[in-house]
Amino acid sequence: MVFSDLFFLFVFLPLFFGSYMLASYVDKKVLSSYKCRNTTLVVFSLLFYAWGEPVYVFLMLGLVLMNFYVGRVIDSDYAHRKLALNIGVILNVLALGVFKYASLTATTLTMLGIPMPDPRIALPIGISFYIFQSISYLIDVYKKESPAQRRFMDLLLYISMFPQLIAGPIVRYGTIAEEIHNRKVSVRDMADGAFRFIYGLGKKVIIANQMSIVAEQFLVGGFESCTTTGAWIGILAYSLQVYFDFSGYSDMAIGIGRCLGFHFNENFRHPYCCNSITDFWHRWHISLGSFFRDYVYIPLGGNRRHQWFNILATWFLTGFWHGASWNFACWGLYFGIILLFEKYTLMKNVGKPLPTPDRKGRPRYRKVMDFIPSPLLHLYAMGLVTLGRGLFYFTDFAQMKEFFVKAFGGAEELHSYVSITAITDHFWLWVAAILFCMPVREWCYGRLVRVAGEGSLVTRNTVFLSRTVLSVIIIVLSVALLIGETNNPFIYTRF
Amino acid sequence: MKHDKIYLILVGIVFAAFALVFDTFPRPRYSELEKRDLATFPSFTLDSLWSGDYAEAVGKWFSDSQPFRDDFMAFSMMVENWTVLRFGDDHVTYHASTEGLADFAEAEGMEAEEAIAEDDGRNPRGYVNKLTADEKAKVANAGIVIIGRDKNVRALMCYGGSAKAGTPYANVCNKYVQTFPGVNVYCMVVPSAAAFYMPEKVQKMSKDQSATIRNIYSHLDSAVHAVDVYTVLGEHAGGDIYLRTDHHWSPLGAYYAAWKFAEVAEVPFHNLDEPGYYQPDTVLRFVGSMYGYSKDISVKNAPEDFIYYKPVKAMYETTFVQYQVDEDYQVISVGRPHKEEFFKKFKDGSSLAYSTFMGGDTKLTQVRTDVANGRRLIILKDSYGNALPGYLFYSFEEIHVIDGRYFTHNMKDYVREHKITDILFANNIFQACGSRYRAYEFFLTMSEGCRENPSTAFFMNREKDTLEAKTDSMAQLRLDTLLQDKHSKQDVSDVKTDSTTNQRGESEQTGNVAVSADSVVVQ
Repeated sequence: MVFSDLFFLFVFLPLFFGSYMLASYVDKKVLSSYKCRNTTLVVFSLLFYAWGEPVYVFLMLGLVLMNFYVGRVIDSDYAHRKLALNIGVILNVLALGVFKYASLTATTLTMLGIPMPDPRIALPIGISFYIFQSISYLIDVYKKESPAQRRFMDLLLYISMFPQLIAGPIVRYGTIAEEIHNRKVSVRDMADGAFRFIYGLGKKVIIANQMSIVAEQFLVGGFESCTTTGAWIGILAYSLQVYFDFSGYSDMAIGIGRCLGFHFNENFRHPYCCNSITDFWHRWHISLGSFFRDYVYIPLGGNRRHQWFNILATWFLTGFWHGASWNFACWGLYFGIILLFEKYTLMKNVGKPLPTPDRKGRPRYRKVMDFIPSPLLHLYAMGLVTLGRGLFYFTDFAQMKEFFVKAFGGAEELHSYVSITAITDHFWLWVAAILFCMPVREWCYGRLVRVAGEGSLVTRNTVFLSRTVLSVIIIVLSVALLIGETNNPFIYTRF
Repeated sequence: MKHDKIYLILVGIVFAAFALVFDTFPRPRYSELEKRDLATFPSFTLDSLWSGDYAEAVGKWFSDSQPFRDDFMAFSMMVENWTVLRFGDDHVTYHASTEGLADFAEAEGMEAEEAIAEDDGRNPRGYVNKLTADEKAKVANAGIVIIGRDKNVRALMCYGGSAKAGTPYANVCNKYVQTFPGVNVYCMVVPSAAAFYMPEKVQKMSKDQSATIRNIYSHLDSAVHAVDVYTVLGEHAGGDIYLRTDHHWSPLGAYYAAWKFAEVAEVPFHNLDEPGYYQPDTVLRFVGSMYGYSKDISVKNAPEDFIYYKPVKAMYETTFVQYQVDEDYQVISVGRPHKEEFFKKFKDGSSLAYSTFMGGDTKLTQVRTDVANGRRLIILKDSYGNALPGYLFYSFEEIHVIDGRYFTHNMKDYVREHKITDILFANNIFQACGSRYRAYEFFLTMSEGCRENPSTAFFMNREKDTLEAKTDSMAQLRLDTLLQDKHSKQDVSDVKTDSTTNQRGESEQTGNVAVSADSVVVQ
């Protein structure tokens, strides 16, 4: 089940919230604990997962059980804690390796001359996310940042919670450990959460899905008749699709979490407004970047020892996490190299320290990039990001090569009518997509506050009105578009 | 605080309203807009539960059979229409095909023969085909182009077949002329509207259909009569010879084709303008299939008048044998022959007007006229062919209209039993380049009463394990169209060149990509 699905929206969600509110009532009036609520959440989360993976739900349960015991051992058995941690992490990585990368390993080995049968194991949904969450849990327990969870159900709750199970964000245990047994949900929380969810739904259904149609038009299938403009429009549409898709999902996850009283960290901060690749990765899929920083980069030595190797290795793995195909690893390495490059160029400190140190008391400097005009930096960063999308999209290197050839002048024509119509036929969609890459809501709110004053009646009413109108429009539009998605265009057998 | 409460209540009401409608209202079974049956609630088996198919089917059912589905879709199309930036009167909208690529049936590894240069009706416009065998088959449904404005909008289905496509269709015609000595065999390939109405600036979006037609005709045995309707249609393209909102030709277009056929067949014929022989009838405000195919509201906003012509001076009797088909287009039962009107009357505003002819495709039609000239015709047709018979009631003693998908008799027996003297293959260019020829071929040898049909039976051969993504049954149908040519290439022992393998591999791969392309969410 996915969030942008009518069955989820109008069957699962109503049933869930109904049950949860009932459980909430029971909890508060009868039990004064969080038991009912948490059990409801766990049950529905398992149902949510089992809906898409009726068999692999047991795999997930088994892994959570394993992690639960390892966590307990780490906490209780001082002598063997490191061993337990290692075993736990290895088992997690092994599970991920088998279910995600076995096929790739087999085919690669076969290509290299060692014939291996392709096991063709189906990929369980969300495994990349929940395994990483489990690993972060074990390491956090080991580092004594959180005590191990003493109840299996509660650990299961953390890992399988349906808002973030399938598509992140990768929530750290410490972020919500307290909230498992202590969460307050005010009306403000519910309203904000609901709006966040609706907003994310709009991003996914209205923008991402529509952009994917344009992207598919140019990127799927052969490139014989592809023009230069067509290639670029395709990859731009794909870049927009990816952003709105992923950030929309994160918004929906954060929204539902908020309604339940959980506060997840932000996962996206308008990444397409970046002015360097370093900046980009502080804005894109933040939970993943911070995972790799904290659990791979820093343990490897961070910037203290052989930094270049640490960066490249970390980014190789980051890329590889995204999919079981070598192009993803290349994509990761691509960014690793650029980041390295930026460390020695754009990010280099210039001149004397500035008068005010940073929050941790360290001296701040001006950087090289401060001297380069912002639009130029933005162009540079987005250009590299877009090229990166080309590496990301094509799992087949031959197709990727064809694409890049076409994009860089190897096409017969610069543009064709198809590429022009791709823009004019969806013009206002493009406008909306590009507009909402930028922090428009913050801008609007900032203007409003400046004109009408913070907290004033005008401000509050405007916010309320615009939120409501936007929400209703998004819901209605999304429903209509989702219904339309099961339409299957002409099948010429029906001639 | 108060604002948040009101917000939640309002949003909650909207949500609850939708939930109420979707969860409790009766669900439609058929979509008028898309002209297809909607998904039904799946039957429960433990197997389907474990494999995840049951859950998926339930989800699909829920999304597919939504109450007010067609209204919602019309609304979403309207909104999509708003995003279009229009400038100029000759604005053209393009709807890309979201289907995967399809291989077309064509002989691999064979040099294209030079077309016969004489004007024997096989050489529209005198073009000579000199293309080599390397040319790859390309996507058939290369998208839909919408041209014109307001009430004059025309939807054109782009043709993507190559100039080498359709050879097996010609081969089937040849087989028939060999199997039935003494019977006149005619081959007609009807071009689609895109051949005549594509504006110049988007000409490239649809391939040249005359080249394909020429290729087909060049492979015909000299005993087979080629019927060149391309030229005659081209000459009359200024008139309403193709429907604007439907993928079919108009009854007027069919008239010209019938006229040409009658000329080739040397049978008596009465023109439309001869007083008293034909009476026009009209279905007003007709919006056809292209609305559902293109999902473009501007097609719906440009209804047309469906004018058809009934031969009023002909004395004829029509007998139908109705076939019941299941959702996979397989015949499940055969009705008793019964006599009915040939032309069905539809109300104004009906989107089914093209089914005026015989009421549709799923039947065998036999017309007996008072023309006592001993000429008895079989028309082996797809839905384009439906519009032809009505003009031939002054020309043949008997006309048997057989749809390539629905026929349960052995053709040899049928020809002998009914003393058939003429067989006309009347198919549009998409079908001529597709796998329909396999059905026609199969009719020759199949046993009497056999209900299988290879042009649909191959849909049954689903190669589930080559698909990584779970697909719904309609997408399966789509993919099977891709794969069936793989099967056809394996079964018919053609020369398998490397280009064949590449095409197959490519089509499979792109087929997978096309179908499994979904959200980019990492798993």
